[in-house]
Amino acid sequence: MSLIETARLTKKYNGNAAVDNVSLSIREGMCTALLGPNGAGKTTTLNMLTGLIKPTEGDIDFNKDYAGDRRKHIGYLPQHPKFYGWMTGEEYVSFSAELAGLSKKKAKESTNEMLSLVGLKEDRKKKVSGYSGGMKQRLGIAQALVHEPKLVILDEPVSALDPIGRREILELMKKLKQHTSILFSTHVLHDAEEVSDDIFIMKKGKIIIEGGLSELQRKYQQPAFFIETEKAMDNWLSSINEKSWIRQSKLDKKKLTLTVEDVDTARDALLKDPMLHKLKLLKFEVAKTSLEDLFMKVMR
Amino acid sequence: MDELTQALQENWALIAPVLILQAILMVVALIDCFKHDKTNGPQWIWVLVIVFINIIGPILYFVFGRRND
Amino acid sequence: MMKQWGVLFKKEWTESARNFKWLWLPVVFILLGVMQPLTSYYFADIIENFGGLPEGAVLDIPPPSGAEVLAGTLGQFSQIGFLVLVLAFMGTVAGEKSHGTHLMVLVKPVSYFNYLTAKWVHILLISLSSFVIGFAGAVYYTALLIETVPVNNVLSGGAVYALWITFFMTLVLCLSALIKSTAIVAFGSLGTALLMSVLSMYTPDLMKWSPGMLSSHSQMLFFSGNAGDGFWVSVGMTFILITGIMILTIYLFNKKEVAGHTE
Repeated sequence: MSLIETARLTKKYNGNAAVDNVSLSIREGMCTALLGPNGAGKTTTLNMLTGLIKPTEGDIDFNKDYAGDRRKHIGYLPQHPKFYGWMTGEEYVSFSAELAGLSKKKAKESTNEMLSLVGLKEDRKKKVSGYSGGMKQRLGIAQALVHEPKLVILDEPVSALDPIGRREILELMKKLKQHTSILFSTHVLHDAEEVSDDIFIMKKGKIIIEGGLSELQRKYQQPAFFIETEKAMDNWLSSINEKSWIRQSKLDKKKLTLTVEDVDTARDALLKDPMLHKLKLLKFEVAKTSLEDLFMKVMR
Repeated sequence: MDELTQALQENWALIAPVLILQAILMVVALIDCFKHDKTNGPQWIWVLVIVFINIIGPILYFVFGRRND
Repeated sequence: MMKQWGVLFKKEWTESARNFKWLWLPVVFILLGVMQPLTSYYFADIIENFGGLPEGAVLDIPPPSGAEVLAGTLGQFSQIGFLVLVLAFMGTVAGEKSHGTHLMVLVKPVSYFNYLTAKWVHILLISLSSFVIGFAGAVYYTALLIETVPVNNVLSGGAVYALWITFFMTLVLCLSALIKSTAIVAFGSLGTALLMSVLSMYTPDLMKWSPGMLSSHSQMLFFSGNAGDGFWVSVGMTFILITGIMILTIYLFNKKEVAGHTE
């Protein structure tokens, strides 16, 4: 059963479609990534789901089990969350909870819980204006979660953060996955691969590729070999480059990445090649390419 | 000048509240200005504005100088 | 629903307490209120000392009546008072919009009616309290220094002027909700109020219905205890306009998109 579904969702600004005919379906209990370069229409799509923007055409259906204003069941973290800086972190989250309809007592409990979850317990009495970027992002997640929404929508949750902040948020998202459904946008493939179950790739307002992560990986990943030798591989490589089982080769000094058609054929051929052994093998590894190649191709 | 001074002294009880209110306005604005690390524009200019422009100075600070984020 | 209104109202209230609006607005109105009787009372002395009159000249200005002083006070409120109120509240919605803080509020199941009316009641409460306390100061100082004005005249005149402030603050909220630039909000609301007052002054027959008549009605109440012609028409019309503006504002705010085109 899908949690939210859109049909032919379109948003035009001055006749130009920022989002064009997007039909997507978010499965309950899953973490879904909306992946695409800047300007692909990700934020506009998310804003239509939250109700902040009205679609020019198309429908949005929220799961019938969760009735009423769908904002009740959605928690949202904008790309650049802006808080009332004069509130303390605790006040802000509790304010958000009460707006969503929680009783004062319940709001307080839930606030405490969320602030410890995102690691802001120590700083809860500080003014938000004094928070760092990473702290604000975590506070944003806390306010999005505080009313226990069925779907949490995060717009580029890690893109503005330094590597440590990024790590923290990704780990937090993995934790959240166990309790609620997540939909997040990102322009970084690696983030999508790390936490998501389903991926929608957007480009110029359209969904161009969609599917489960493992399904996409099966479909688009290719077996590959990483080979390192002591001696230079240039000559040897040009001697085998024409072989039918090789798809692509990339040589970086003494490190070679070979994408191949079939692992077994390639392994047999490579290991039986006496020339390779003469180059003094340092490393011979069978692996898979990431979706990077696909992503790069799609984005170009 | 003597007459005015005399007239003012007669009604000192009426003038005093005005001065007190002005002082309150100024002190609160100053405290707030010092408490915030950031103001719109240089802080020391705001301090001068608050102290030297009667009544209007603190108001200007509250409206334009305070950063509310 | 009522509960949510309370939450939004409490947020406005706390914000005004923390940025000292609850302190400085009343103080400004008190100062404006007591200045008028004080300067009226000392006018002759001040002119004699600083006016550069030739030595020996005798200044014979009849002291103003209490009603005149109160009318002058309202004049101060309409100019400086309104300016200060606009500066304080032009950003009540527009500021949140330009800053982006409204996004995370309105993405919650918040009714736009609650969001706007909580702000409306809040700015009315501060403005009217500031007016009441400032006006009380003016009445008290006038009574001590000049003369007492009949209580009924003071109360009825003050109440009518309070209605004019209510109309004006409704206008401020409306423009703030619909326009992003606080400068335009300020110019728009002050300009409208000024235009209404000026038109009422020069073409009172055509403007009988206008809320702009209210301040001259309140002044007449100070002088005679009776309001001018068409008093109830302008009072009734003001109530209708206030309601109409609020309904229109909420309707248009609902229709407008909360988030702009970002990408």
